[in-house]
Amino acid sequence: MTAAELFPEWRDRPLEEVLARCGALLEDESFPTVARWRAAGGRVAGHFQVYFPEEIAHAAGLLPFKVRGAPIEPAQADSRFGSYLCSIVKTSLELALSRRVELDLFVTHPICDAARNLGAVWGRNFPYPCEILYLPQNANSAHAATYLRGEYDRLRRTVERVAGRAVTEDDLRRSIAVFNENRALIRDLYALKREVPHLVRADEAYALVAVGGLIPREEHNALLASVLPRLRSREMKKLDKVRVVFEGGFCEQPPLDLLRAVGRSCDVVDDDLLIGLRWIVADVAPDGDPLGALAHAYLERSTYSPVQHDLRKPKEAMLLERVRGAGAQAAIVAAAKMCEPGLEEQVAYAKALERGGVPFFVTEFEENMSSFEQLEVQLETFVENLLFE
Amino acid sequence: MTPPAGPATGIVGRGNDDGARLFRQWFAQLGEAADADRPSAYVFVMGSLGELMRTFDLPVVFPEINSLQTAVRRVAHEYLNVAEDYGYSPDICGYVKADVAAQLRGGQLPMGRIPKPAIAVYTNACNTYVKWAEIWERMYGIPVFTLDVPGTRADGTQTWPCDPDFEHDRRYVEAQLRELIPLLEKVSGVRFDVDRLREAMGHANTMGRAWKRVLELNASRPAVFNALTDGTIYLGVANGFRGAPEGAAYFTDLVEEMAYKSAHGIGTPTDERWRLLFVGVPCYPIFRRFSEMFTELGGTFVGSTYLNFASGGANLGYEYDLARPVESLAEGVLIGVRDAMDNMFHQTPVLLGMLDQLGADGIVYHPIKSCRTVSTGLADSRRALLAARDVPSLFIESDMMDRRVVSEAQLKNRIDAFFEGLVSRRALGGAARPPAQA
Amino acid sequence: MAYAAGVDVGSTQTKAVIVDERRRIVARSLTMTGANVTRAAEEAFAEALRSGNLEDEEVEYVVGTGYGRYKVTFGNTQVTEISCHGRGAVQMFPRTRTVVDMGGQDTKAIRVAPTGEIQDFCMNDKCAAGTGRFLGAAAAALDIPLDALGATALRGEKAVKISTTCTVFAESEVLAWLGRGKKIEDILLGVHQSIAGRSAGLARRVGIEAEVTFTGGVAKNAAMVETLTRAIGAPLNVSEESHYMGALGAALFALDHVLGAREPAPAREIA
Repeated sequence: MTAAELFPEWRDRPLEEVLARCGALLEDESFPTVARWRAAGGRVAGHFQVYFPEEIAHAAGLLPFKVRGAPIEPAQADSRFGSYLCSIVKTSLELALSRRVELDLFVTHPICDAARNLGAVWGRNFPYPCEILYLPQNANSAHAATYLRGEYDRLRRTVERVAGRAVTEDDLRRSIAVFNENRALIRDLYALKREVPHLVRADEAYALVAVGGLIPREEHNALLASVLPRLRSREMKKLDKVRVVFEGGFCEQPPLDLLRAVGRSCDVVDDDLLIGLRWIVADVAPDGDPLGALAHAYLERSTYSPVQHDLRKPKEAMLLERVRGAGAQAAIVAAAKMCEPGLEEQVAYAKALERGGVPFFVTEFEENMSSFEQLEVQLETFVENLLFE
Repeated sequence: MTPPAGPATGIVGRGNDDGARLFRQWFAQLGEAADADRPSAYVFVMGSLGELMRTFDLPVVFPEINSLQTAVRRVAHEYLNVAEDYGYSPDICGYVKADVAAQLRGGQLPMGRIPKPAIAVYTNACNTYVKWAEIWERMYGIPVFTLDVPGTRADGTQTWPCDPDFEHDRRYVEAQLRELIPLLEKVSGVRFDVDRLREAMGHANTMGRAWKRVLELNASRPAVFNALTDGTIYLGVANGFRGAPEGAAYFTDLVEEMAYKSAHGIGTPTDERWRLLFVGVPCYPIFRRFSEMFTELGGTFVGSTYLNFASGGANLGYEYDLARPVESLAEGVLIGVRDAMDNMFHQTPVLLGMLDQLGADGIVYHPIKSCRTVSTGLADSRRALLAARDVPSLFIESDMMDRRVVSEAQLKNRIDAFFEGLVSRRALGGAARPPAQA
Repeated sequence: MAYAAGVDVGSTQTKAVIVDERRRIVARSLTMTGANVTRAAEEAFAEALRSGNLEDEEVEYVVGTGYGRYKVTFGNTQVTEISCHGRGAVQMFPRTRTVVDMGGQDTKAIRVAPTGEIQDFCMNDKCAAGTGRFLGAAAAALDIPLDALGATALRGEKAVKISTTCTVFAESEVLAWLGRGKKIEDILLGVHQSIAGRSAGLARRVGIEAEVTFTGGVAKNAAMVETLTRAIGAPLNVSEESHYMGALGAALFALDHVLGAREPAPAREIA
């Protein structure tokens, strides 16, 4: 890990500027923080959606970089893939092919078949290790924890090879502590969104969370710790907006402009945007066997998404709970274009919300869409109906 | 009992006839089960665990096969419309939608009526299986069981028995199988009898051995079966009768038929001027025409990756060790299903092997809109193959269910151009060239 | 002197080319296809004969190509326009290894061997977004004649980004930009860039190898040549005869039959 900060630009700046800089960093296609890390001799572990046990890479001194596509043209990547495919898979590969980011390791997960294929394509096009981390899809097996701990151990071996050093249990415990703090701070941010949504815009909150995937977690912790109290004392006019849950951002990300458009008529009081960064909902046990603790947390202390199947976590019920828990009046049920699990879940979600008497708005998005007029008109109409009911 | 092999009477074409007969028999049984409201298991081609289902007298329903049949019989669009009206996107897997429609129609399909599921058992070989099962879970409140099969982690890193990483994965699969067994007991009302499992696994061994042999026999000149058309019939039996005595008998007969044809130089009914490999899932909405567009120009499919992955990896010829049935079932499922689900990793060596073993002149890649498992990285995989070997190839996209994205004229245009290339290459002497720049 | 002919029946236009045994183009013609495809082919051929001062009997072999190739009933055989465009391009520019053909209805990228043999091809015909049709839709939306499109686009300075993937919505997107105060030149430049980008993407699928030849009716559009050059990242060969490339290739295949040669020979100099 390097001594100098990768993202010092926010230090000692007023709140508005900090938020703007976070947004700018997020939209910067040259990924300057990753470049700075490399320039200082650091190595980068790129990890795809949805959830990746970043602690393991962090413990080896690697920078865990969340690969989440980008609103760019996949000029070179496009020819590697077929047509009927989500954009995030293509743009993610494009980031590497176009050398906007350079990695030393790439890990994807069996969240869907496009993501699995991404591991194969990436590996054919780059010389560094590219692999699938086979997170369990039968979380209900009594053997799942043992299996996962072994799979994390395998990952640890890969990470050690890439980093050129061993990863000890103490290293892992230290990293777990850093990430526990990170998750706690993000939970605080989400509490703020629920309690006083007018104090932070949807796109601002998003940027605050998302930059965590671009910088060392320690820096992210410092950033959040500095910003959160300032948000609470922010002076913002309380406008008459509908409280909504945004569901559908678990993998491919809507462009910031779409979130801004939504934010103009709604307060997004909860969502699943970049849910992987806060997949674990409580502290990972800081003592004992760290890999076992991480495996346990993944299986027992995690939230839900369309790409995991767990009989204890019925997704529609959990969505309704998310809506009620956040005091939301409605749900925006979004799906990325061509996203098989997302589009299928939309049907189940819509039916469950209808049965549950929760108004909802169904839409599709693409990470590099640039015109939102149609969407905004429809959303505004939906909101007007709610407000004047 | 099969009549003794003799002169051509009855043996040539027997596989296709028996296959059709068995298929009808299967559906008649399913119709009876539907009428009697008997519990049945919904399973999939990559990891059907037919051996286990038989052990519990559970009739098996293969929704993938049902759906493709609606396309072959030209009624898929009706089913797709019903599902899309219900709310499913045009962009998701056509197999899923046709099945949703079939369920909404009370199990009514062109081939007959299928029973509702009492349980769904599936692997993660295709992630859509998981979402699909969730649909039945919601519709019927039935138990659904994910048999999680850890796949290949990275290119060139497949692990094998005795390797600690392999054993780690195998133990997980075995533990899950042991959790599945009591659930199947509950659902079927039949007590688990390990000897019955052994028997079913024995039949599966026979089938796997025979299937591998049948695929190898297509190295004959002329080829003894068309991998695209005849192959689909064999797959129906391979899946529907996995672990059944009828399945074992069928494939034993099939080897006999193909060996006979090979020995007597009997090929397929069409002219074989070009031997081709097929990569992907067939174009079912215009199945016959699609095949004709190749055979008309003398193209015979001698091999197809579909016959590998849609048989759940039975092409590997893995043989279960009947002395330790559950452990060996776990091992066999891990090896077979992994091979099926991971073709994106090792397609180049597999295709090079097929090219050499079957003496093929070209490869036809057919990615489809519905299936991201098969199609996502096919363009890149093809690139890798062409870098390794200068072989003529064709890349055509359509779908296996949705007629709306199948354009016969466009396909024909490309297929014709491909054959023009084959002709001119042969005319130039097919001289060895350095691999084309990727 | 022996003669051979090629007739390229496209969705909007039908072209005919007659070559002599030295592979020189001695006649060409272009007509609108219309509803009666066979008649269009016959007329195109007849017109070519007239302009070359030739009798029907003097042309010993006719090859039909294009989407209507099976309707060229007076022809001797059919060859796909993919093979024909490859062959024609190599004839015009012997060092061609990649062809980008932009027609009214589809766009093709073709990689060819020095012999003119097709090594790989990729077509965009799922939708018209990367084709000349998109230009037509934009022209209609802006009420500009098609042949003025290129010149107008070349005057653009800051191209707008066209994100629509569907030609049907191109019109509304173009009008939306106009409504936002963007200049017609910049909008048109953006439209050209969008089409060029998609076509370059097709070319990358087959692998771009120098030299790259740009064929098809749209190759006469100077703005498209410029934007495509930039999108591909390599200079483009463009011929005056770019419209006739398919028909020329077909005529050359026909000539093979006349000369008794079956294999496509390396391109010769056009005397």
